[in-house]
Amino acid sequence: MMSDVLIAPAPAVYARESWAEIIKSARMPQFIIPTIALPPAFYALFALAMGQGSAEAATRALATFGVFAVMGPALFGFGANIAAERESGQLELKRLSPMPAGAQIAAKLAATTAFSMVAFVMLYALGLAGGVALTAGQWVMLAGVHTLAIIPFALIGLGIGYRLGQKGAIAVANIAFLAMAVLGGLWMPIAVLPQAMQTIAWALPSYHLGEMALMAAGQREAANLWLHAGPLTLITLAAALFAWTGERQQAK
Amino acid sequence: MLSNHSSTIAALEGATKAYGTHRVLEAFDFTLEAGSVTALLGPNGAGKSTVAGLLTGRLQADSGRVTLFGRDPSDQLARARLGIMLQAGGLPETLTVAEAVDLHAGYFARRLPTAAVLEQAGLTALANRRCDRLSGGEARKVQFALAIAGAPDLLVLDEPTTGFDPDARRAMWDVVRAKADAGAGVLLATHHMDEAEALADRIVVIAGGRIIADGTPAAIKAQVAATAIRLRTRLPAERFRALPGVAKVETVGADLSVLTTAPRASLEAAFAIDPALQHFEVTGASLEDALANLVQSNRTALKEAA
Repeated sequence: MMSDVLIAPAPAVYARESWAEIIKSARMPQFIIPTIALPPAFYALFALAMGQGSAEAATRALATFGVFAVMGPALFGFGANIAAERESGQLELKRLSPMPAGAQIAAKLAATTAFSMVAFVMLYALGLAGGVALTAGQWVMLAGVHTLAIIPFALIGLGIGYRLGQKGAIAVANIAFLAMAVLGGLWMPIAVLPQAMQTIAWALPSYHLGEMALMAAGQREAANLWLHAGPLTLITLAAALFAWTGERQQAK
Repeated sequence: MLSNHSSTIAALEGATKAYGTHRVLEAFDFTLEAGSVTALLGPNGAGKSTVAGLLTGRLQADSGRVTLFGRDPSDQLARARLGIMLQAGGLPETLTVAEAVDLHAGYFARRLPTAAVLEQAGLTALANRRCDRLSGGEARKVQFALAIAGAPDLLVLDEPTTGFDPDARRAMWDVVRAKADAGAGVLLATHHMDEAEALADRIVVIAGGRIIADGTPAAIKAQVAATAIRLRTRLPAERFRALPGVAKVETVGADLSVLTTAPRASLEAAFAIDPALQHFEVTGASLEDALANLVQSNRTALKEAA
């Protein structure tokens, strides 16, 4: 077959692209330090040092900081990097090559997952040291919610990266990063915020993911799962549309 | 591979492309053959990069047919036989030259070994240098390496040697020539006439979205039979532009270079406006001059028709 002679096997391309994406980012200290080290550092400072040894406070904070840890790699890895690669023409060269269309996104997803995992491991280790005691099932569910969080944030990052130049994308990703962390209640419960701000939380994926992570860790009534899974699904679909229309826009 | 030499590998048939209301190409026909280097020349905005963009699938034609190896250019099987060097091509900053080449080559089943690509592109010594630590010319070489890495049957090069020193240019020309001799088709968009003259088997001149000349470099030069006259005069260049037969006037040092299709009439008129004219030299036009003349007379013809 002609295609066997001409087209490289897709799994191999996906694997190489993913590996390249990981080493590309790992060699950028300005990327790696804030996105991976910041969440565990904040967790150690705010939740553990200031929580005065309360295991409950440490558990709650672990649930929401896990969501926070995903946002950096996803928003910056997708948003800022895609914008830079688009601006420099790298994306175009790949688009005109026989690389399978999905390899680029899959590779970024793999890199985001890898960097998030590193942050999770540090966070979970700190949590254990700080007195967090979860059952094996709770750990699995918590890690599941944290991993799931990659998808909506990556889609939002993509939508930003396809629309803006590198500098604009970094600026917008920063604003989105901080707004979703604070208004989504990842650093402190939204109950401490003014009423109007609490309403905004319902439109943010970070809020619903944080609540779901708290449920996984046994800190919230799991019967209310649909209250958050429903809006999260809608927000994720909207984010997918945001990313897809951005992709269409730049493909012209 | 000589048997492939007359086969068409890419074609535009009646292709039309407009940006907004500006029509860049209208009912444009163009074919590319295997085993030969075709240079695309013409002034900026003439449609050169639009032609290259349509053939490589970077742009979509509004109407007409575009084929690459008998397929749609966006077909993965067509792209697998295509190597491209874009004019503005960034590189993955934090990958080394060898890593970047290896990654790109991996998209192609027929890829060349990384070491061979680096050697051909003159990058062996830079294999372990990070892409963000390359000079402009070195980065351009990496772009070229990416274009040849997949052992393409069609190589599309947009201004490939910008920023190169003379040795590097010649080295790249040798590699491109060798690829064409081995059966690959090459489409070269360039501003450098010496590059087209040194490399091309065929020159296609585009102006205003139309092909105004198509032939070997020698045929293009013969077609215009232009003459360059060098003059030393105190009069401003503008005075000479209006003379009969004159296509172009340029200042070259203390002299004027006047390009003309009617040397006798032009010279006589020059003496009439500047009786003090002493030094002059008449030579055959270079390819660059011939092209300027072609484009100019095409413009004049269009104006007269309108």
